[in-house]
Amino acid sequence: MTTTTSPPALTKAPAHPPSPRFSGSGVLRQITVLSGRSLRVLREPAMVLPGVLEPILMLTVFSQVFKSVSQTSSFPPGVSYIDYLLPAFLVTSSISAGLKSGVALTTEMNNGIVSRFKAMPIHTGSVLVGRSIADTMLNVVNLIVMLAAATLVFGYGPEGGVLGSLGAALIAVVLGWSLGWLFMALSAWLRRPESLQPIGGMVNMVLLFASNAFVPADGLPGWLKAVAEVNPMSHAITAARDLALGDPDPGTILATLLCCLVLVVVTVPLAIRSFRRAT
Amino acid sequence: MDTMMIEVSDVTKSFGATRALDGVSFAVPRGTVLGLLGHNGAGKTTVVGILSTLSLPTSGEARVAGLDVTRNAEEVRRRIGLTGQYAAVDETLSGHANLVLIARLLGASRAQAAARAEELLELFSLTDAAPRKVKGYSGGMRRRLDLAAGLVGQPEVIFLDEPTTGLDPSARRDLWSVVKRLVHNGTTVLLTTQYLDEADFLADSITVLSSGRVIASGTAAELKDRVGHRSVSVTLRDAQDRPRAVRALEAAGLAPAHEQDGLVLTMPVKDSTDLAGVVRASDEAGVELAGLAFSEPSLDDVYMALNHSGAH
Ligand SMILES: Nc1ncnc2c1ncn2[C@@H]1O[C@H](COP(=O)(O)OP(=O)(O)OP(=O)(O)O)[C@@H](O)[C@H]1O
Ligand SMILES: [Mg+2]
Repeated sequence: MTTTTSPPALTKAPAHPPSPRFSGSGVLRQITVLSGRSLRVLREPAMVLPGVLEPILMLTVFSQVFKSVSQTSSFPPGVSYIDYLLPAFLVTSSISAGLKSGVALTTEMNNGIVSRFKAMPIHTGSVLVGRSIADTMLNVVNLIVMLAAATLVFGYGPEGGVLGSLGAALIAVVLGWSLGWLFMALSAWLRRPESLQPIGGMVNMVLLFASNAFVPADGLPGWLKAVAEVNPMSHAITAARDLALGDPDPGTILATLLCCLVLVVVTVPLAIRSFRRAT
Repeated sequence: MDTMMIEVSDVTKSFGATRALDGVSFAVPRGTVLGLLGHNGAGKTTVVGILSTLSLPTSGEARVAGLDVTRNAEEVRRRIGLTGQYAAVDETLSGHANLVLIARLLGASRAQAAARAEELLELFSLTDAAPRKVKGYSGGMRRRLDLAAGLVGQPEVIFLDEPTTGLDPSARRDLWSVVKRLVHNGTTVLLTTQYLDEADFLADSITVLSSGRVIASGTAAELKDRVGHRSVSVTLRDAQDRPRAVRALEAAGLAPAHEQDGLVLTMPVKDSTDLAGVVRASDEAGVELAGLAFSEPSLDDVYMALNHSGAH
């Protein structure tokens, strides 16, 4: 059946069409408003508690179960296990924080709120930058709580002192921030909620195993060694540990920061482009 | 001053092998409501997605407020309000905070944002729930908040994708009156719906989609004319009167039909002026009536008829 379109006659004379009520906002406003939105969870202990308790629980388990590791000959002499362990924990917690950014983005892309933002006159990158800032700040809070708990409950007190520990935490935060962008880029590219978790987990594994987390990079096969050397994780764990233990190596620290920066420079445009891409 | 605020011409949209839209065209004049009718999968949400710059047409052209949605997406976004098919609000925030968030993103000052939020919460009867987390809202409350969120910036063109799905009858009526008021003030509205009475009540013009094609368009009255059966039914007080009533109505040139032993006689008529004839005939025959009703074909009838003829 074919029909012709006949626009209806205007029965009422419309008043002036409404003009937009607000004049639009700048990128800075967009970013602060959007990160403020994600930071509201800080007002709710119930939302923050699991994130804080989990690493403390892990610390309890590790410090009791693996205490004997510090008695082995390869272990640095005179270092208590908790002092050795905590910097690595700061780093792994930050990786989880980065992964969480990606997962949260996927969730919002699928529950419609991202569509609402995309149909608004705001820069789409603001949504990602806002999330990155909020998640980074949440990670800072998390790491500080971890350090405090370790000091008060587990007798953490490495050679590097408070400054060394804060330095280690800062390294971890920078790493978490850069991985947050990596996972947001993955999330924006994959879109589907069911694929980010396994792929994110896999990326996580590669980052962890192609690093010096378990063995020195020199002990790895050629290509894996190459990966390990540019893997921000390797540098981050070494840098954080050295800082905490009071034996910082400027070269490692610089390499870590540089790797993180490169990662961010590469993934930010990728994330924003995939995120903005209309279907 | 027939300014077209929405113009869709020959738009197609493919998702891989699926052709979601297949040469869709329509136009919506300023200050009117277009009802986009169609069953599941007809392509309604796809049309809304393209017009609100969320997705790109595969071919064809779409304009909103005279602006091409592909080339001037940024400008289009300044003029539109979108309420999608599924509620898009932040569950971790209160209703009030959700609206403030949108207003702030649109450039409102804190005070302006709070004032606008309160205004809209009032309009959608959400004032009491405003300070509570959206997580604890009922489906209908969420839906209303979502609608409010689409109106924060006072857009010129509003897209409502199945806006009353999940609302109770009184909330539906409320929404309808909000839409009427917006249109009265010059806003242009495109709404998709599966509720035929909704299109009938709200839409100045209706476009019926089926499998990505426009199978009919026009006013509700035009669509009804095309199917064209109007009828009058009378309810007798006493079944014994029936033979007498039938004879009298037949004598008046009508063709009453009834169910076995029924009290209701139904007859096709040309228009509502035939009501008088029915009443007169009954009266002259001394038949007492308990009820009298004139019914137009429902849009349901129209929709069925169109879909049958447009299915191939
Ligand atoms: N992102 C997508 N990928 C693949 N196919 C899609 C996508 N979006 C829509 N489709 C297909 O396009 C067609 C039209 O879908 P659309 O969502 O526009 O229908 P609708 O009229 O809104 O239906 P409903 O009443 O169920 O909301 C369907 O066949 C659907 O499967
Ligand atoms: Mg739909």
